[in-house]
Amino acid sequence: MADSTSVKKSSPVLIAAAWIIVIVPTAWGLNYTVKNAMKLFTASAPAAAAPAK
Amino acid sequence: MALAFLDRDRSIAPEGYSRWLAPPAALAIHLSIGQVYSFSVFKNPLLALHGADGAAWNLKEVGYIFSIAIAFLGISAALFGAWLEKAGPRRAMFYAACCFGLGFVIASFGASNHQLWLIYLGYGVIGGIGLGLGYISPVSTLIKWFPDRPGLATGLAIMGFGGGAMIGGPLASNLMAYFKGQGDPSIPYTMLTMGALYFVFMMFGVFTIRVPRDGWKPAGWVPAVRHSALISSHNVAVHEAWKTPQFWLLWVMLFVNVTAGIGILEQAAPMIQDLFKGSVVAAAAVGFVGLLSIFNMAGRFFWASASDFIGRKATYFCFFTIGPILYFVLPLTRQDRLNSVPLFVGIAVVLLSMYGGGFATIPAYLKDLFGGYNVSAIHGRLLTAWSAAGIIGPLIVNGILDHYVENHMNKEDAYPLILHIMCGLLVVGFLANLMVRPVAEKYWLKDKNIVVPEGVAH
Repeated sequence: MADSTSVKKSSPVLIAAAWIIVIVPTAWGLNYTVKNAMKLFTASAPAAAAPAK
Repeated sequence: MALAFLDRDRSIAPEGYSRWLAPPAALAIHLSIGQVYSFSVFKNPLLALHGADGAAWNLKEVGYIFSIAIAFLGISAALFGAWLEKAGPRRAMFYAACCFGLGFVIASFGASNHQLWLIYLGYGVIGGIGLGLGYISPVSTLIKWFPDRPGLATGLAIMGFGGGAMIGGPLASNLMAYFKGQGDPSIPYTMLTMGALYFVFMMFGVFTIRVPRDGWKPAGWVPAVRHSALISSHNVAVHEAWKTPQFWLLWVMLFVNVTAGIGILEQAAPMIQDLFKGSVVAAAAVGFVGLLSIFNMAGRFFWASASDFIGRKATYFCFFTIGPILYFVLPLTRQDRLNSVPLFVGIAVVLLSMYGGGFATIPAYLKDLFGGYNVSAIHGRLLTAWSAAGIIGPLIVNGILDHYVENHMNKEDAYPLILHIMCGLLVVGFLANLMVRPVAEKYWLKDKNIVVPEGVAH
């Protein structure tokens, strides 16, 4: 039987670091995309009123 | 052997290894190869390139680069799926990284020397093989690590493929602007840099991925005895799976779901500008495309995770009932009808979430029907539906638009026809999903010695 106390578990720091490695570029891309997406609502607002004139 | 560290045996997780290290490894691969969705950022710069003789490429020729890459994604996934089962995810991820990185390098020489065939060969063929290998490599491993939540696990990884464009697009734009500012050839240098960056990032996945030991299961998890009839406790080998009606029904479902999504994605920016003439400026249309990519990514996680609770068939039931209604209603939001940009955007993002959800839920659906034994190989063969949709979808969309333009008809009148065709296709998907039944006993794997992970119950 394996001694459960001698089992080396993955460090929480290692797990967090692995997630950070993939989250950081994703967050950068998401931020960039959201900023662009906001133009859909800000840039279209004045023009959207035009046909109603 | 120099590459022995890539062997499956060498990547078996030691006791105590956290399964939460597997999703970041898978995400590193999928976030990288998902760059293919943002290849359009290279379109205009490539069109502006001129050879020594002054020759330039046209839009159609440049458009083939993406099509070739997607075609080879499906072909390589289908061809190498069975090999991946034996070789293990680490070796497949390593080759995927090599192919994807090398593809950029060869394409950069093509751009530098104005040789389009080199870009086809590099980014299209070699890079496309990297896409296929990378796409399927972590799927079965994640299912084995998360037998209690296979939908969530595959949703997490395949979400990365949807999100890859969000990184790849701005990365390419910023790099091209930087190299242009430095007076360097912007496209070749950008491609070389991206090839190197993606190779390194994918290597993180290669060295992090581990496969669970035989018989491993999450602590405290007991597979439920009673579960849906559609969740098989038996396995079907890949060479038998594609003889089953279930495989082809799922093929049709994936094909129509992807084709319908392409109906919006292919022309997203011009469509919103044509349907709301004068109301949506070019910058806002780019924002619309960005919003679609966010929901394409989020839908992969949301719908695949939801499928763990409501079941795969019910999830596709949602796609194929809500989808046709929304595709039918979408053209009614245009300027000369309801004139509602927010409603148009709202419907489009829900549709794109289901497009992504369709991709992310299919591996778990396959695992339910065919067991976990050959799920990567079966998934690989099913991805040929994506390749087919990647050819048929743009043919429908561009064919109809060209017909309207050539016959001097209003281009905006073409969109309702396109979207209603997509609505009809989803109805076909609805019928296919309705016909899915458990796999017949004659296809089951007979070898009792094969150890396979238990399935989730719901």
